[in-house]
Amino acid sequence: MNSVFGIRHIVQFVLFIALQILLFDSLVLFGTGFCFIYISFLLFLPIHINKVLLLFLGFVAGFTVDIFYDTMGIHAAASVLLAFMRPHILNLLTPRDGYETSDSANLHKMGWNWFLTYSLLLIAIHHTAVFMLEIFGFDWRILLNLLLSTMFTGVVVVILQLLFFSVKRASR
Amino acid sequence: MRNLFAFIYRFRAFLVFVLLEALCIFLIVRYNTYQGAAFFNSASTYVGRVLEFQSGITEYFNLATVNTTLADENARLRQEVMQYKLAGITDSVARMDTTLLVTTDSAKVIPYKLHAGKVINNSVRRNNNYLTLSIGSANGVQPGMGVIASNGVVGRVKTVSENYATVTSLLHSQLLISAKIKRNNTFGTIKWQGGNYRTAILDYIPLHVQLTKGDTVVTSGYNTVFPEGIMIGTINSVSKEPDKSFYTIDVKLAVDFAQLAYVYVVENTLKAERDTLEQTSGILPNE
Repeated sequence: MNSVFGIRHIVQFVLFIALQILLFDSLVLFGTGFCFIYISFLLFLPIHINKVLLLFLGFVAGFTVDIFYDTMGIHAAASVLLAFMRPHILNLLTPRDGYETSDSANLHKMGWNWFLTYSLLLIAIHHTAVFMLEIFGFDWRILLNLLLSTMFTGVVVVILQLLFFSVKRASR
Repeated sequence: MRNLFAFIYRFRAFLVFVLLEALCIFLIVRYNTYQGAAFFNSASTYVGRVLEFQSGITEYFNLATVNTTLADENARLRQEVMQYKLAGITDSVARMDTTLLVTTDSAKVIPYKLHAGKVINNSVRRNNNYLTLSIGSANGVQPGMGVIASNGVVGRVKTVSENYATVTSLLHSQLLISAKIKRNNTFGTIKWQGGNYRTAILDYIPLHVQLTKGDTVVTSGYNTVFPEGIMIGTINSVSKEPDKSFYTIDVKLAVDFAQLAYVYVVENTLKAERDTLEQTSGILPNE
């Protein structure tokens, strides 16, 4: 419990932000589907992380991306919203006998159903916030953006889980 | 009092959430205009270095396109120089008696200087797009200057650091550029409304003007940002809407923003003089 926010998460933070800026910035599906992979840093944090710490982490992650994207505050606002909603979504999805202290948001540990609902819900919340803040209102065009982007980010998140979070490490 | 603290402690997560969101909204409203300096942006030294590193890797992939563009431009410039040279040879004005002819001062004719810069960050698919260039105040770039590529208008400088500059792309919902139709000098305003990055809208062209598809749209020169006659694009389609007194004109942009590699920042050496004159006489500059 004492290494809830350890070196592993700092590495993940740098890695995901770098991925976002260097690679996924120029990777856009059909000109409408964006991938905001940096939020997987927030998704993969331990389940029992302090709520206030989580909010600040969300702000820092979003703000860093904002600096590179020249979109002052948009990603920060969306990430803070995600960080705020995460504990609530986790509560909603509590397994029958509750979370164990060693549980993390991991596909192998929590199962496909749990992980997909959890990540897709949070990704959809985050992306809705980003697209609506970008045009400061609502437009029917962003629905297509939203659908494609949520699917794109979701698929990449699952791929990351399958590649880098092996079954062995999850059972440890 | 203790109850108050207990209350704050119980709802600390929500309160922090509200505070952070308020801060974000403030940042969005304050700094997401097409102009105005933000302290944190991609022109800052460290961010600029990361972006330069990235473009250092990716630039190899479109070297071929960059080379063709530069070669094309060279050919065009060489042709122009040749024309001037030929004109100089056939022209006998220089040998005329100075009592008959007042020679014009060539330094004052062209007040524009160009600074070449490399594009190290670029986007075309967001609602508000920006570029980052690897030249800054050390090379004479100032906020508000115009940016052009070899084939047309690109945008305006937003912020500047010592070695980097961010540019509001023409593909920004709030950037308006004063333009005119080259054939008949009718002037209007170019703006981009999101979506396709190859087309923009030309607005405020009155209904009595004769338009044909393919007409060239250039900058008007009514402000100090761009020189007159810089290419913007060609008219793609024209339509009349019943309740509007202006045409709705679709313009195909001359610049392919996805392919930008090198651009020129336009410095107008007479900008300060013209702007102060226009301001003291009470005319708002036409942006």
